[in-house]
Amino acid sequence: MIHQKNQITKSPDLSINIGPLRLKNPVLLASGTCGYGAELDGLLDLDLLGGIIVKGISIRPRPGNPPPRLVETPCGLLNSIGLENVGIESFLRDKLPWLRNVKTSLIVNILGNSVEEYSEIAKKLDGAEGVKAIEVNISCPNVKAGGIAFGTDPEAAANVTRAVKKTTGLPVIIKLTPNVTDITKVARKVASAGADAISLINTLLGMAIDIKSRRPALANVFGGLSGPAIKPIALRMVWQVVRAVDIPVIGIGGISTPDDALEFLMAGAKAVEIGTATLVRPGTAEDVPAGIRYYMEANSIQNVEDLRLPDQQTLNPVRYPSFPIEGLPMQPL
Amino acid sequence: MPKFDTPARIVEQTQLTHGIFLLTVKATAIQDSANPGQFCMLEVKYNNSRDPLLRRPLSIYKTRANGQISFLYKEVGKGTRLLSKRRPGEIVRVLGPLGQGFRLIDDRPQCILVGGGLGIAPLLLLAERIKQSGKLIILIGAGNASEIPTIEDFSGLTRYFHVATEDGSLGQRGMVTDLLAQTLQEITGMAQIYTCGPWPMMKAVYHMARRKNIPCQVSLEATMACGIGLCLGCAVPRSDSHGFLHVCQEGPVFDADQVHWEYNQ
Ligand SMILES: Cc1cc2nc3c(=O)[nH]c(=O)nc-3n(C[C@H](O)[C@H](O)[C@H](O)COP(=O)(O)OP(=O)(O)OC[C@H]3O[C@@H](n4cnc5c(N)ncnc54)[C@H](O)[C@@H]3O)c2cc1C
Ligand SMILES: Cc1cc2nc3c(=O)[nH]c(=O)nc-3n(C[C@H](O)[C@H](O)[C@H](O)COP(=O)(O)O)c2cc1C
Ligand code: FES
Repeated sequence: MIHQKNQITKSPDLSINIGPLRLKNPVLLASGTCGYGAELDGLLDLDLLGGIIVKGISIRPRPGNPPPRLVETPCGLLNSIGLENVGIESFLRDKLPWLRNVKTSLIVNILGNSVEEYSEIAKKLDGAEGVKAIEVNISCPNVKAGGIAFGTDPEAAANVTRAVKKTTGLPVIIKLTPNVTDITKVARKVASAGADAISLINTLLGMAIDIKSRRPALANVFGGLSGPAIKPIALRMVWQVVRAVDIPVIGIGGISTPDDALEFLMAGAKAVEIGTATLVRPGTAEDVPAGIRYYMEANSIQNVEDLRLPDQQTLNPVRYPSFPIEGLPMQPL
Repeated sequence: MPKFDTPARIVEQTQLTHGIFLLTVKATAIQDSANPGQFCMLEVKYNNSRDPLLRRPLSIYKTRANGQISFLYKEVGKGTRLLSKRRPGEIVRVLGPLGQGFRLIDDRPQCILVGGGLGIAPLLLLAERIKQSGKLIILIGAGNASEIPTIEDFSGLTRYFHVATEDGSLGQRGMVTDLLAQTLQEITGMAQIYTCGPWPMMKAVYHMARRKNIPCQVSLEATMACGIGLCLGCAVPRSDSHGFLHVCQEGPVFDADQVHWEYNQ
């Protein structure tokens, strides 16, 4: 499909559907790395993106974790922000009006410590003008279940999905945590509980130690790893989930270039979210739709969905280069 | 306030003493709108390398009308080491001007600037600004003379200029807080303190200011990822225990009594 050149003359169509939600292109900003949008004013043209997913919102404001909250690791970032946010009331009053003027789809990321909290926020967002969809962060501890994250328990994840679906007419995207043994189990459960789409991955649990002070580098000891370092893991999980469920999948993890985004789209993601890369260079996401379009044009691909690789590709036998590499004996990879 | 993320050509990179560098870049848009106490995020990696991933925050040390900005920095780790290897003619990406700088208070005829080590970096622009309007007292401290190689930039600005080093290699032997104690005994009338340096020094300065009922502004540091309020990583506890200050957005300059000084950094 990819190498049949010159068959299609129309310019590529970058628009996609995430359930009932139509996006003008498959590039979104990931929650927690783009503030509430206004912080990027003048540095990134949000209108060029498919959507923006604002910082996770809870019922009440959350102060977050004590510092240090950040530490850089090789090609990665560990954070323990602790889901600091202004709370739903302040979001609706102080942040939403600005976001309404942006010509891109606004998706609100929500979090909670009980099923009831999730559905309460979803209800408050239901009628909010300008909000196009809800992304549900299920990486939070379930207080009633002793603090184990909703996202690591397929049953709890399904309960949150059902509760949110029941209280809102907005499209619901469930955001999965990678900190599980088999991500397809959780994915299947939330899909059958009625999720409109799945996004993954959230950060990977990690830690760093400062050998000078002989203390964990983060005050919270553990943190979430993001950035280029996690891309191969994210891509593998997206590939798996795409092949396990029938609903649209949004790929997240270490995407910083159009090429990175294309890998996720080839794995079968309908869209991608850009996170840490925006922290490194606020304008990063702007280049990605243009880069995807350029690739599609060059390879005569009409729709984003056509980028997806066929499943049987995994079954093809590995082919070795047929030309001799000087001085090197030929070896299986 | 407008911010710019621009590729900036390096005009000068000078090693002043062991491990301390002065970097000058051309970034006209940033220079144009920079205020004393603001900072920039500088890219330290080469081209498309992804390690180190994050930019590094540096205070705006000097600006010149021709669009040039200078940074005074110390090599402390991987990022600053890479930055120090960049040569004139090369391009570094600079995001700025960022944060809320020092606030000039009209009814304070005397301003006391207290800098510790490279904490002097954000104070030069401020000193130049204050010099135009009122009495300027500059107090600088360091371990030894080689830690403050740009001292001449300050000493010409005012006759009320004092230095202390712990080893006595420059000025009075002792701490900058000794200088402050002497100054606070001598002055009369309304004053304002501005300070930047190591946390324990700023904490001591704050307590001395408070005892004398003198308002004090401090320039804080925190580990940063974005520098523009996106990640909420740069938190410092508030004195009123209601959550956190965000250094990149609400700071880096704060009224000292907003800060929870007992918090162990
Ligand atoms: C608003 C702001 C303004 C700043 N202005 C200046 C400036 O004008 N000149 C200047 O030299 N520095 C300044 N800094 C500090 C500077 O950003 C850090 O020294 C730098 O980021 C370290 O990067 P690195 O990769 O070299 O060190 P890393 O590899 O990140 O760290 C190496 C070691 O350096 C030490 N270190 C790391 N960060 C800091 C820090 N923030 N302060 C002190 N020690 C640290 C730690 O002990 C660490 O183990 C400023 C920081 C902030 C937040
Ligand atoms: C500083 C920071 C804050 C984050 N906050 C949230 C959040 O509030 N809610 C959420 O669902 N994900 C949050 N994330 C996870 C990101 O949205 C994203 O899933 C993850 O970082 C992986 O993508 P990346 O490698 O492109 O950053 C955060 C990530 C970072 C780095
Ligand atoms: S460094 Fe990202 S919010 Fe301050």
